Amino acid sequence: MAIIERPADTTTTVAPVEEAAPVTATSSYGYLRRPVESTGWRSWAFTVDHKKIGIMYGVVAMFFFIVGGLEAGLIRLQLAGPEGTVLSADKYNQMFTMHATTMVFLFVMPMAAAFANYFIPLQIGARDVAFPRMNALSFWVFLFGGIFLNTSWFLGGAADGGWFMYAPNSDVPFSPTNGVDFWALGLQITGIASLVGAINLITTVLNMRAPGMSLMKMPIFTWMAFVTQMLLLFAIPVITVALFLLMFQRSYDATFFSVEAGADPLLWQHLFWIFGHPEVYIIVLPSFGIVSEVLPVFSKKPLFGYTFVVFSGAAIGFVGWGVWAHHMFASGLGPVSVAVFSVAPLAIDVIFGGAVLGLFAGMYYWWPKVFGKTLSESWGKWNFWLMIIGMNLTFGPMHIIGLQGQPRRMYQWTENRAGEGFFNLGMWNLVATIGTFVLIVGVALFFINAIWIHRRQPVAPLDPWDARTLEWLTTNPPKPHNFDRTPTVHALDEVFHRKYEDVGEGDSHEYVQRSTLDELVLEEEAQADAHIHLPAPSYWPIVLAFGLPIMAYGVIYTTWLIVLGAAIVVAALFGWALEPADAEDADFDPPAAGGESTSKELANV
Amino acid sequence: MSDIVADAPEAVEDHAADHGDHGGHGAHGGHHTSLGLSNTKLAMWLFLGSECLLFGGLISTYMLYRNRQGSGPSPDQLWDIPFTSASSFVLLMSSLTMVLAVSAAGRKDDRNTNLWLTVTAVLGGLFVAGQVYEFTTFYREGLGYTDSLFASSFYTLTGFHGVHVSIGIIMLLATVGMVAKNRISGDKAETIEMVGLYWHFVDIVWIIIFTLVYLIPA
Amino acid sequence: MRDAMTTTSVESVNSLSTRLRSAKVAAVAGLGVLLAGCAQNAAQDTFAPEGENAERIDGLTRLVFSIAGVVGVITFSLIGWTVWRYRDRGQPIPEQSEGRKSLEIGLTILPALILVGVAVPTVQTLSALNKTSDTECVVNVTGQQWWWEFDYPVQPGCLPGGITEPIVTSGQMVIPADTNVLIRGTSRDVIHSFWIPKLNGKRDMVPGRVHTLRMQANQPGIYAGQCAEFCGLSHANMRMEVVALSDAGFQTWVDNQLEAYTPPEEGTLAAEGEQTFIANCSRCHQVNGILDTNGTPIVSRPDTQVYPGAAPNLTNLMTRNTFAGAMWDLIDDQRREEVWEASPEEFDELYLAGVEDEWLNAVRLRAWLRNSPAEKAMYADPTQLEPTDGRYRGMPYLALSEDQIDQLIAYLLERK
Repeated sequence: MAIIERPADTTTTVAPVEEAAPVTATSSYGYLRRPVESTGWRSWAFTVDHKKIGIMYGVVAMFFFIVGGLEAGLIRLQLAGPEGTVLSADKYNQMFTMHATTMVFLFVMPMAAAFANYFIPLQIGARDVAFPRMNALSFWVFLFGGIFLNTSWFLGGAADGGWFMYAPNSDVPFSPTNGVDFWALGLQITGIASLVGAINLITTVLNMRAPGMSLMKMPIFTWMAFVTQMLLLFAIPVITVALFLLMFQRSYDATFFSVEAGADPLLWQHLFWIFGHPEVYIIVLPSFGIVSEVLPVFSKKPLFGYTFVVFSGAAIGFVGWGVWAHHMFASGLGPVSVAVFSVAPLAIDVIFGGAVLGLFAGMYYWWPKVFGKTLSESWGKWNFWLMIIGMNLTFGPMHIIGLQGQPRRMYQWTENRAGEGFFNLGMWNLVATIGTFVLIVGVALFFINAIWIHRRQPVAPLDPWDARTLEWLTTNPPKPHNFDRTPTVHALDEVFHRKYEDVGEGDSHEYVQRSTLDELVLEEEAQADAHIHLPAPSYWPIVLAFGLPIMAYGVIYTTWLIVLGAAIVVAALFGWALEPADAEDADFDPPAAGGESTSKELANV
Repeated sequence: MSDIVADAPEAVEDHAADHGDHGGHGAHGGHHTSLGLSNTKLAMWLFLGSECLLFGGLISTYMLYRNRQGSGPSPDQLWDIPFTSASSFVLLMSSLTMVLAVSAAGRKDDRNTNLWLTVTAVLGGLFVAGQVYEFTTFYREGLGYTDSLFASSFYTLTGFHGVHVSIGIIMLLATVGMVAKNRISGDKAETIEMVGLYWHFVDIVWIIIFTLVYLIPA
Repeated sequence: MRDAMTTTSVESVNSLSTRLRSAKVAAVAGLGVLLAGCAQNAAQDTFAPEGENAERIDGLTRLVFSIAGVVGVITFSLIGWTVWRYRDRGQPIPEQSEGRKSLEIGLTILPALILVGVAVPTVQTLSALNKTSDTECVVNVTGQQWWWEFDYPVQPGCLPGGITEPIVTSGQMVIPADTNVLIRGTSRDVIHSFWIPKLNGKRDMVPGRVHTLRMQANQPGIYAGQCAEFCGLSHANMRMEVVALSDAGFQTWVDNQLEAYTPPEEGTLAAEGEQTFIANCSRCHQVNGILDTNGTPIVSRPDTQVYPGAAPNLTNLMTRNTFAGAMWDLIDDQRREEVWEASPEEFDELYLAGVEDEWLNAVRLRAWLRNSPAEKAMYADPTQLEPTDGRYRGMPYLALSEDQIDQLIAYLLERK
């Protein structure tokens, strides 16, 4: 897509791109060749390009947002009036469990992963992440895990113990269907995705920064996403242990949570919340990072107190480990019991406001970078206002409902506890339901904006927001190899400093634009690195990922499936290890540097 | 600010001076890395960091439940400390042979690399066999998996460790095969070193388990 | 290069991202305090304390809410003013200042100080709430899917003469008013949570553990509560009330609970009901003093029928006014209003009158007896009891005829 404003006459003639030669990636084992397709579904299924992976993460996350939103809609319909009949008690309990699990693990976390995947390499001046195949693996494992989890709806009922799944209610006598097993196994699978992704992105941030980019010159989003990955690295294993204990309890009659055997039900709570508290930071830090990126761009100033903000993020990461028991005030741990706990989803309102709106801000901000066009401004405003009004109408009343004595996770409320007068529980429940539908309309507007209106949008200029950070030093969308020339970084907000120069003297400042972003990008093209190596696509990540849900079905249904799934995983691991390091056409020699481009994707540049 | 442009060459130089080239060019693919540590080695360290939390959770569960033996046998009735010490020694020796394998790989001595890798795998296998023998003995003496909280947490903890050792053995043997067929892309010595890191970690975890579970009386 | 359209896009993206957290804190805190009081007589209103412990919590809550509200209003106003004052009017690029140490340090220390300020009354309140050494009366509370059992152990406290025999009731916990009562709570199955908002905060009821909570009501009255930890299917229906009576009223209540069993008069409907009860209900529901045909007292064995092992004790069912885990009233709406709205002086008499035929909530009670699983979500399908070794979680369908129901109602009405 040509969206760089090129000067009318150019002194650099771009060599015409020839038809790419037919490609044969060779290896001594015929079946271990690398995939070669660069278009069509195969170019997505086998891609290792962090940008494509980021887009896939985003698309799937938005799909699960819809799923979770529908679940929320049903919940609110049930609670719109007293003793609702939309959902039975059993279905309601499944609905709120899956709504929360979906929103946390299948929407917010993958959406943050979408941004992290797409933008960390671009923001640090790298061409891809440290382990591109592992990156693809993370995505496919997440997708298959999310699908696996949701097949529970059709296979006897979804999990019904709440997303926090307290023991012993999660044990077989109290949750006799396979729902909880699907939940535990599904989260194990998505946990693998997160853990592998964390290792990948931490290595990327620590090891693959462009020359000159010290840690304190990294864009703030990368910093926050980095802290998030560190949290994931250490938090996921803890919930992994909890989930294994639960699985062994349910599937193999272990007694970890059996009170008759002398077990302590609080073991689950401790393990869960040691994961759970860092988890809420995992949810919100990426959005903090996005907001901290967007505000400086539109204020035309650097982030105030960047150093403090970075250290605060790191401090959140550290200190967050020590506070898990604040999720257990009423558990009888000790002398703490606070009435505010009865306030209904306070935390969810903060998540929605802080994290979800931040993610939407990120989408509107970076849309032109990823897709080459901006989203429609007017539709965007309707989207925003309906969402924020809907959000406050939905969650605001819930605070009041909680303060008026209606606890959470109740499939119905009754008139005789609703209070009298106009502003009683009935009214607030109804308002919250109306708010939900306002929110749903608002979200629908986003999809309309992104899918249909998008088509009519003009191609965006290269620098629609006058941005500051390194990811903007690329085309829209970036070329497969991101940067024509690996940039050398001299300052925080590198792109701002390349565009603007301070010609003021002494204490006065006057910023004059010395280059447009278009000129800068063209310059990079002209000074392109002689030889650019791109990681080749691979079959094995998606194949390996496929084995995991099969193993999970095996745990629930029959051991033979465990064997089959494991065989697929092991075979894929061997294929992964043994496949050739490269395919021949993965390298790109930029024409401007005198090479002949062999990459089909750049045919139009 | 014009001084930023002027800083550029210095910044690059400083960067190079700070991080030098150690590890950078030796890493597979010759990629320069900001920390000077190769990507794969860093990734392995990170993975082992997460494993600390995994075993930490399992060990905590065991420590919570070690005294809840129900009507089943208790540790002092079951443990055969001399035997477990012997198999611990075997595992410890396997770490030594692993170091020898890494050293041989550093000298590009494929033959000895494979020799020591194989010995390591054999010693690891001996350890696992010892575990299996131990567990079947415990089972016969009345410690079934579901019999008590002590039993469940013991078997789960040591079982997870045993699985980690077994995966390590597979990794060792796969590495032997790939060295023999010259199928290791990138820095061979570093790959062996990475496997070594994993193996040593598994060994250290065992030392902790052996101490907490077997040696310290309940 | 920026487009002409970016002026408004600046605002939209700014407002998108700037108003979030501060808006919520300020708006909700203010709103909450304001409007939470607007629902009159919400039975579980957390802003209407009726006992010392709840009063302490309420005091702290209002204090913290106010502080948070002030902080929120200030923050929100500052942001609003800044967004307006520095909106894009085509100004030149401002000075690229990266921060100011004094401001950064100040804005870190100030919230820290506020939090420390909040922490002090918080800790004081928490330690005051935790004190149990000043309690004079003990009630053991046991949660079970999906009802609450209260048993009063033999003890010297609660009354001048103490409690001389154990009392077991369910659904409504009767205590003397203006007395510190110690609750010792646990569960028979999953984790529940005991919560009477007007009297105190929550305490989880965890199987295998005993947790304590101090309960105190200033005046006679009835105080609604609810299980506050998700406990499965009918968590929403697991309710209870605390009933506080004057000292004299409490004495009357205890005496009544310990009265000997009076079998129904021969030949009455209630007598037939007794037989129906023995045949259908005694398996699980204990009525102290009921005799079988041989004259042997019947001891119920719910542990053979019900997975967690207990069912509500019905000895004095009609001395309380809710049933089925306090899901429904035993009394009709009019009587309910009289009892719940009674002044502290009138309350004792109204409550101690118990349930009479004239104000019995017959429709609900009949529906329950007719088909309880249809009325309250429970695990009572006899074909699906494998996970619980063939035992129920809840009351099963008994296939009673209308006549049998008539008999049972007549019999139950005499259980006071």
